[in-house]
Amino acid sequence: MSSGVSGYAAINTRVRAKYASLLTPQDIAAMSEASDYPTLIDHLRHSRYSDYLAMVQEADLSPRRAVFQIKTLMADTYVSVIQASPAHTRDLLDRFYRRFEVDNLKAVLRGILSKAPWDQVRYVLFPFGDQTILPAEAMLESGSVMSAIELLNGTPYYDTLSHAMERYTAEQSLFPLEVALDLFYWRALWNEVGHLPNQDREQALRIIGSLLDMNNLMWAIRYRVYHHLSEEELINYTLPFGYRVRDDDVCSLAGGADIAQLLNRIYPNLHDVDALLHEPRQGLPLLEIQLQHRVADQCRGAFSGYPFTVGLPLAFLVLNEYEIQDLTVLIEAKSSRIPSERFHPYLLNQAEASLLA
Amino acid sequence: MFYPQEMTGVQLIVPSRDVMAVTKVLVDQGIFHQRDGSFLSTEKELGSTGNWPEKANAYAGLERRIYNVMRQLSLEEEQLPEAKVSSALELDEARQAVDQVEQEVKQASDKLAAEQKRLEQLENSLKQLEPLAGIELPMGTLRNPHFLYSILGVIPNPNIDRLQTSLERIPFVFLRLRQDEKESVVWLAGMKRNADVLDRAARSAYLNPLVLPEVYQGTPSEIIAFLMIDIAHTQEHINELKATIDRLSKDRKDQLQSLLWTLRTSRMLADAVARFGQLQYTFLIVGWVPTARLEEFNTVLKQVSKYVIIETFPFKRGRTDLNVPVSLKNPRIMQPFEILVNTYARPRYEEIDPTFLLAITFPLLFGAMFGDVGQGLTLALFGALLASRKVRLLHGLASLGGLIIACGLSATLFGFLYGSLFGVETILPALWMRPMNNILLILGIAIGAGVFLLSVGFILGIINSWVAKDWGKFFFDPHGLSGLVLYWSLLGLAAGLFLVKLPFPPIIFGGIAVISGIIVMFSETLNRLVKGYKPLIVGGTGTFAIQTFFELFESLLSYLSNSLSYVRVGAFAVAHVGLSAVVFILAALVSSPAGPIYWVVVAAGNLFIIGFEGLIVGIQTMRLEYYEFFTKFFSGGGMRYEPLAVRPKMDK
Repeated sequence: MSSGVSGYAAINTRVRAKYASLLTPQDIAAMSEASDYPTLIDHLRHSRYSDYLAMVQEADLSPRRAVFQIKTLMADTYVSVIQASPAHTRDLLDRFYRRFEVDNLKAVLRGILSKAPWDQVRYVLFPFGDQTILPAEAMLESGSVMSAIELLNGTPYYDTLSHAMERYTAEQSLFPLEVALDLFYWRALWNEVGHLPNQDREQALRIIGSLLDMNNLMWAIRYRVYHHLSEEELINYTLPFGYRVRDDDVCSLAGGADIAQLLNRIYPNLHDVDALLHEPRQGLPLLEIQLQHRVADQCRGAFSGYPFTVGLPLAFLVLNEYEIQDLTVLIEAKSSRIPSERFHPYLLNQAEASLLA
Repeated sequence: MFYPQEMTGVQLIVPSRDVMAVTKVLVDQGIFHQRDGSFLSTEKELGSTGNWPEKANAYAGLERRIYNVMRQLSLEEEQLPEAKVSSALELDEARQAVDQVEQEVKQASDKLAAEQKRLEQLENSLKQLEPLAGIELPMGTLRNPHFLYSILGVIPNPNIDRLQTSLERIPFVFLRLRQDEKESVVWLAGMKRNADVLDRAARSAYLNPLVLPEVYQGTPSEIIAFLMIDIAHTQEHINELKATIDRLSKDRKDQLQSLLWTLRTSRMLADAVARFGQLQYTFLIVGWVPTARLEEFNTVLKQVSKYVIIETFPFKRGRTDLNVPVSLKNPRIMQPFEILVNTYARPRYEEIDPTFLLAITFPLLFGAMFGDVGQGLTLALFGALLASRKVRLLHGLASLGGLIIACGLSATLFGFLYGSLFGVETILPALWMRPMNNILLILGIAIGAGVFLLSVGFILGIINSWVAKDWGKFFFDPHGLSGLVLYWSLLGLAAGLFLVKLPFPPIIFGGIAVISGIIVMFSETLNRLVKGYKPLIVGGTGTFAIQTFFELFESLLSYLSNSLSYVRVGAFAVAHVGLSAVVFILAALVSSPAGPIYWVVVAAGNLFIIGFEGLIVGIQTMRLEYYEFFTKFFSGGGMRYEPLAVRPKMDK
């Protein structure tokens, strides 16, 4: 235990200081009241994001660029948290960080199909800087999915994608590539969790397992509701592990079990599941927000109790990510002049404040 | 040598028609450090001709494409020849040249890639068929049996369990025929009526079925034989294509290299012009030139443009409002020490360059801690080996060669003074003393040397403040004049009380210490007073009182700890002797002094001392220099001098 305490002393202090600097629900509420996009940016210029927004001239600060800049702070936060964490947890945290690289990879592949120019794609990508192993620009310039994947030779993604290419060639859809990437990534992350010592593993399972629960459920529901996939496909496109959600739950969901009943059994406090599933186009994103609330609760829980585990940095990183998600919603909503009643339900912090009220 | 090279600010007003010629000369000369002057352009002018950044980007894109072509041909970039910079290549012309050569190389490399892909597929099919080699049934029968539906193929290992879970509701047979690290060759079979389920499950588990072209007919072993023939043919074809690419690489090498250099020059010229200020008929170019080369600079510019107006602004050291680029001008022999200085920080323009002092004190401190003739010479030889770059594996450490030679020679010198040869203290006479026999004396001398070095550091700091005309820092800073007086008066007080009898009462030093201590205590406030900043006291009075008290306390503590820190020089000199003695004791435990094993242990012990203790002493020396010495006078933060040039000529 003493090694745990000494190993985690620095990261614990750093993470707690950063945790205290996260935006409060009141901050988010104030920002959501901003009359327009420039006013929102003005608010952000008085927050911890100010230095990052100041890197870009005001005239160039488009909504996309603003999101890119605030994500840059998250990228720097990841790097500093990983560096300050004990050596035995860095592989896990680094792998956790690579979620955004997987997203970047998908975005580049989509960019290739839509023939988007690099200048358009670069600010959609998560700002990894020189930490990424993806030759994103070269991939985009290669002009074809096959050549782009060849450029990944030597990276951990290559084997998975080159194997899945056979299906891409046959189906001419990115779906099998994206699913293969997701399954590969979460399996690898789960394996990293397995390599941790007991106390760290327990906390990591709690947070990463909760994220995986949410993903597994949302994948299964979407594949069933939107894609009408068969039972066997649904099982193969999900994973048999998680924190609360058991493999039996996923299999019964695949086998046609009542989704609302199953969700209410796993998460008794979910609201209006039936109604949400009735209108899946609008309902499923809101259902996902409710599940994200559960993950956020798990993360906040990590800040009380025994703190000298990897749970603390993981929890902070997830909460930081949710803050950026909220800000992204706000930026997009304000720049598109969407009325507040339409975007409010998609705010994690704001939604929670209203729930508490 | 004691200060960075003197620089002169330069502003050129160049007629538009001469701008390329002037830029070329600036790049050719390689002495002009450009400042961004694009802000001087008016928007109107930028709107009409401000396309230089786009041009630079376009050239950079073409440069990257040529790099890619060279990589495909396995060509390394060569050193740029010492020729004058040629004119920029017109963008369209450059694009055409790149397209042409890229197309030619692409054709051959695409064919090669296709053949390599085909080879991979054939080998893949072979891998899948090999486990079935013993079955004497036609492949068609195996793949389409009468009563079963079966799939033969490759599946990633992590997907196997999930595939089996997904098929739990129907009867099926699953055989793993061969297992590699990441994938397995498997055979999945079930009833024909469940073919759809099996297909969907296999596809969603990424089980890629074996695909054999129609030409491959017969039993598995017959097909394997055909595949092997095809593999051999494909391999031959690949070899031929590789030979073609090799030929292409030889034929096109000079053309590609020259194109790359021309594109780089064009990009650099476009980049430079993009940062000029642009007026209606002229360009404004601003930057810095070393004063010593100003005349040469003016002469050459006047030769290329009769109408160029050159304005110069000699820059006196001491003004800190402009960031002047810093070019250090030390003799070649001091390069390794310059690297050490730059690792800490680059000196500012108005600041003393500590390289010369480091070149003296670093080897001296190292040698005093590591005094041994044999080990010092070995270290110096190792340094010479590094510097000679004769061992490829050690190329990365070549820049440390000079430093290690100097440290090795200094250790040799101290070895003679201490009378130590490879840890043996009985062969050489000690020209000065044996540290082990004079422990208190050597520790005292070490502290004395530390006090001297720290005093030098204080004085250099005071000179730096003088040059920068920073009077607040000069008079009141803990490392300024009052700090030095406080430090010396405390030393005098301690000496008078404990070491020597002074001709006057030591309390006089006490009085001076109190006065200078009060000045140091209020240094921040006095500094603000001198500079005219308001308010004089920042924060509340209580906070101010606590802060000033602790600042004085911290200063006193650092004077004491910095001085005592040098005791390690003496301590390491003693420890070095002790460590050598341990080697001989260990050797004697293993064997008698007459036996060869004894000398093997002694040699291994000496190597250990040279490597391990040498490293530790090196780190301690660096600490004494960086932390104790440099902090007294050196703040750094200077801008690197990076003259415009195709071949980089910046200071390291």
